[in-house]
Amino acid sequence: MAVRSLHVSELSARGFRNLRGEPLRLGPRFTVLSGDNGQGKTNVLEALYVALTSKSFRTSKLSELLAHGSREGDDEAIATVRAHVIEDGSPRVQTVALRKGHRLVKIDDKRPASLAEYAVQSPVVVFHPGELSLSMGASAERRRLLDRVALYSAPVALDSLGRYTHAMRARQKVLATRGVGASDLGDWEALMAEHGAATCEHRRRAAEKLGARASKVFGEIGSPGMALSVTYAPGGPEEAEELRRVLAELRPADLRRGSANKGPHRDDLALTHASAPSGRSAFSTLAAPLPVALHPVRGTASQGQHRAIVLSLKAAEIAEIGAARGVRPILLLDDVSSELDRERTRALFSFLRAQEGQVLLTTTRPELIDIARSDERVDYTVCDGVLSALVDG
Amino acid sequence: MLPESVAKLGKLFSRLPGVGEKTAARYVLHLLTSDPEISRTLGEELLQLHARVRPCVRCGNLAERDANSASADAVCDICRDNKRDGHMLCVVGRVHDLFAIERTGTMRGRYFVLGKLLSPLEGIGPDDLPMMRLISRIREEGVTEVILATPPSVDGEATALFLKRELGPLGIAVSRIASGVPHGGDLEYTDPITMSRALAGRQKL
Ligand SMILES: Nc1ncnc2c1ncn2[C@@H]1O[C@H](COP(=O)(O)OP(=O)(O)O)[C@@H](O)[C@H]1O
Ligand SMILES: [Mg+2]
Ligand SMILES: [Zn+2]
Repeated sequence: MAVRSLHVSELSARGFRNLRGEPLRLGPRFTVLSGDNGQGKTNVLEALYVALTSKSFRTSKLSELLAHGSREGDDEAIATVRAHVIEDGSPRVQTVALRKGHRLVKIDDKRPASLAEYAVQSPVVVFHPGELSLSMGASAERRRLLDRVALYSAPVALDSLGRYTHAMRARQKVLATRGVGASDLGDWEALMAEHGAATCEHRRRAAEKLGARASKVFGEIGSPGMALSVTYAPGGPEEAEELRRVLAELRPADLRRGSANKGPHRDDLALTHASAPSGRSAFSTLAAPLPVALHPVRGTASQGQHRAIVLSLKAAEIAEIGAARGVRPILLLDDVSSELDRERTRALFSFLRAQEGQVLLTTTRPELIDIARSDERVDYTVCDGVLSALVDG
Repeated sequence: MLPESVAKLGKLFSRLPGVGEKTAARYVLHLLTSDPEISRTLGEELLQLHARVRPCVRCGNLAERDANSASADAVCDICRDNKRDGHMLCVVGRVHDLFAIERTGTMRGRYFVLGKLLSPLEGIGPDDLPMMRLISRIREEGVTEVILATPPSVDGEATALFLKRELGPLGIAVSRIASGVPHGGDLEYTDPITMSRALAGRQKL
């Protein structure tokens, strides 16, 4: 299948965090944004991400994005981000306007049918230092990864998840205010079951695609002799009738816990690595090969292995959503040199050089970014929300 | 600076749906530069509005009170229209939704406006729904088919499931409008063609 090119040629932001000044012109390949901490480098990546998806990767509260100070206490304050996108030679303009509690999205001045449809127009993948929690941290990051991938194969996935979550909150409120015998509990549970089952289906499919790709990449960059397995770990029954039955049964327990014990809100992506025990052991003289040990990566993998796992998952995300949409996703990397360790940097840079699409990265140490010939690279410095082009020499 | 009365009226207009500050100011200027009779009639109509128009006692639709009657009760045109099929009752969440369905011109029966949807997060539970009124209306008027036309939001779906169960013992046919209506959408903004299809494609629950 032919993969079409995709890049943002210009980004402008108004009333967005601390960003000021002229629109940013981007090359089709690498753009390096450098500057001291707190100047607005991440804000630029965030502005681009918001323009392409209508969401932020840093916060779920869109009101945080509105520049403070400009019109203090003004409910009408508005932030606008606009990206000139070029897909396979054809231009389009994507605009997201944010106001307290609202967002308005437009593609070439037309409103798309839904936010889900908007969010899959121009695939973009972010890499930030906190991303290490994808491998080491709590399950929420991994569910978000599944949902981002699911969105590309089925835009309704977003709707199912939203409906499931709403029904789940309503049911918990009913439990807390009117107890386990409330007459409408079964109705909310029926809706949780219907939309929860749909959510599981989307996530299972996303996990299968992602898992296959991640294992393959890990085989190439991970430690020799190690294998990564990525599988869907549902947080409850995947089938609607069964989920409904379990929910009804668990009412007292859910009331005590203050939230539902079972259901897709507790889904996870199980990461396990398999390895032959290393080194010589007392049994190493046995003729039969030793059994392969399966470990959940949390708690057992080394820091370096976690990085390789995260890189594999991210590479899988890029490949999967790129394939689903038929374009090369745009890649945003935040704080590339913040915690320099040689291993990570080497793997990361070879991964980066292999990227054929558009890449934006931020760093406090531009001299360490060794990725591309100068004709493929544009450099900017960011200072107090203003970008300036860095002239050679 | 605007005279105080102009600013005040502008503020009031801008509270109307779809009217921003600019449009509100245009309304005020228009009234000030036109025949004063327009402002006077508008004012009188507004003064009388709530006294003259009441929720229909039977269905909750908007109804004009009988000027010659001492009673505050009012019955709407649809409930009075004896060409309507009294066996069919369409249950909606809000008056806006009733209008959206009426616009299709395909609803032969009458309506019942709930006024609310189940919404635990906003503190609305089954006791807040007018179930007694609905059930007695079904019994008294010999309704044999109820169409649940609550919106396709999660709260609307939950309300439909709840009503279906509560009406079960009455032994009447209960159906739900088809979900041709955009998901999560508002019936009010559904175009008449989609709305007629949703009605025609209603499914027995
Ligand atoms: N809503 C906002 N309005 C104005 N300034 C903001 C807002 N949110 C964050 N900032 C400012 O943005 C700066 C941080 O930007 P950031 O992009 O995170 O920096 P870095 O260059 O370290 O990535 C801080 O100076 C902060 O005060
Ligand atoms: Mg930063
Ligand atoms: Zn009536």
